[in-house]
Amino acid sequence: MVIELLQSLSEMQLVGELTALSLLIGGIIMVGGIIIAKIAKILFHKYYAPSLPKDTAQNISKLLYFGILIISFLGFTSSQGIDLSGIMVAGGIFAVVIGFATQSVVSNLISGLFLIVEKPAKHGDTINLPDMGITGTLLDIGTFSSKVRRFDGTVTRIPNDKFFTSNIRSLTLSIVRRADVVVGISYDSDIENAISVMKNEIFQTMPFVLQIPEPEFRIDALGDSSVNIHVFVWYPKDDWGQAQPILLTTLKRALDQAGIEIPFPQRVIWTGKD
Amino acid sequence: MKTMIDNSETTFSNYGIYDLGDNLELSLPNTLIKFQRISDDAFSYFRENSEGKIIEKIIPIKSNDVKIELVPIRPLNYPARRTNYVFLKLDKEIHLGENSAASIFVHCPIEIGIFLIHGDNHESFDWVTCNPLNSRFSLYGSPDTGTLCKYAKVSLAADYDDSISYVNGVMHIVIENTLSFAQTISRIIFSMADNTLYYKDSKAIIDGIKITMKKRAAVNIAEVKTTLVDTEWTSSSTWKDEISSDHHVEMDLE
Repeated sequence: MVIELLQSLSEMQLVGELTALSLLIGGIIMVGGIIIAKIAKILFHKYYAPSLPKDTAQNISKLLYFGILIISFLGFTSSQGIDLSGIMVAGGIFAVVIGFATQSVVSNLISGLFLIVEKPAKHGDTINLPDMGITGTLLDIGTFSSKVRRFDGTVTRIPNDKFFTSNIRSLTLSIVRRADVVVGISYDSDIENAISVMKNEIFQTMPFVLQIPEPEFRIDALGDSSVNIHVFVWYPKDDWGQAQPILLTTLKRALDQAGIEIPFPQRVIWTGKD
Repeated sequence: MKTMIDNSETTFSNYGIYDLGDNLELSLPNTLIKFQRISDDAFSYFRENSEGKIIEKIIPIKSNDVKIELVPIRPLNYPARRTNYVFLKLDKEIHLGENSAASIFVHCPIEIGIFLIHGDNHESFDWVTCNPLNSRFSLYGSPDTGTLCKYAKVSLAADYDDSISYVNGVMHIVIENTLSFAQTISRIIFSMADNTLYYKDSKAIIDGIKITMKKRAAVNIAEVKTTLVDTEWTSSSTWKDEISSDHHVEMDLE
């Protein structure tokens, strides 16, 4: 029964020498290829990906998946007796036409490849794209676009060509980072004493602040109302929340406890006499 | 810093293994630890640390054979586990002439680990530090290529019995200068991942290190190797490491 069915399919010519049987075999090869590609991808993610860096794992996974699909497609075309050399010549012309039509798509694809090779940032890095005003965690560098999760939880998709050509500021590439704030003290206050109490409070209450390089205090400006002190502290790259947001609070507490005035803006009005 | 616990006239708990029973109270400087049975198969855990912070946990248990181990551990966890490297800033510099060696003991900070022992399982449960002010971070090298280290100012000790209970352990350091010029040593940076701690009552000692200052090709380096302590003191359990240190750091000579 099955043999008879196959025989009838082989005799059923669709186009030229293409028979229903060869189309069926091609279909089986293609479907089999897709299934194998999916299984290979699942097995890779289950057994090998956890031991690799996330971006490397994603790239290998894509390579594996699309590699098997391409091999399946080549198997499909050869099973149909399609001569690819003819397609190559026609494809060359076709590619030029398609190339013009899909310039941005190709640009994104090529940029994606360069991003994967150059690795200006990797999965999980906190990055800042000043040209686009985007800061967040890099989730994925995909085939055509990259995804960044901003600190408000939203995810921004960035076309790879824009991502590749923009300035990328990595906030986690260095081992440590620096936080800085400006605090003003009154002109009556002893600057050395103010620095001493701020330094001591930082040491006592901010355990994530590095001792080397030690906190730095620079007189930033002799302002209209206050002597402005620029305070710089270094902290481990993953502990931004333990430094920058609480630094001003810490300094104000230190100055308050020491009775050092943080002045309001003030004006001395002089009234001239005749 | 506000201290919530009164240490006056308090006898602190020694290092060692304790039966949990129905209640267990352990006392450390500025730290109080309490275990209390709340049902047939669960305990509550309460810790008030040196900063006045309270930590509470529930511990489900499978059997009544549960013990608690209180031991000194490497000082790598406070305020957060970020590195295996330690930066010891010596309070007094050591001057070493050409082709000479020095053998010193230093007070190295420690933390205290609490382990749960039930049956064959030995689990890292919690840790405390009794001297948080001497547990900070520092950078060795540049911000992009340097090494993050735990930082502590340390003083010289007389011998292994000179450790300050619960706060530091004594470490033996041998420094050898094979160079043809003198060196002044003010800081020591090394990975503490391989250093075991040992305890007796409330005292602790730590595996030592040997530092060899030598010339390699055109560069002068300080090579650091761990040296095991030959002691009858009890070896501490190792706190579960969460940092994989796959890079090697050598001290430069400046």
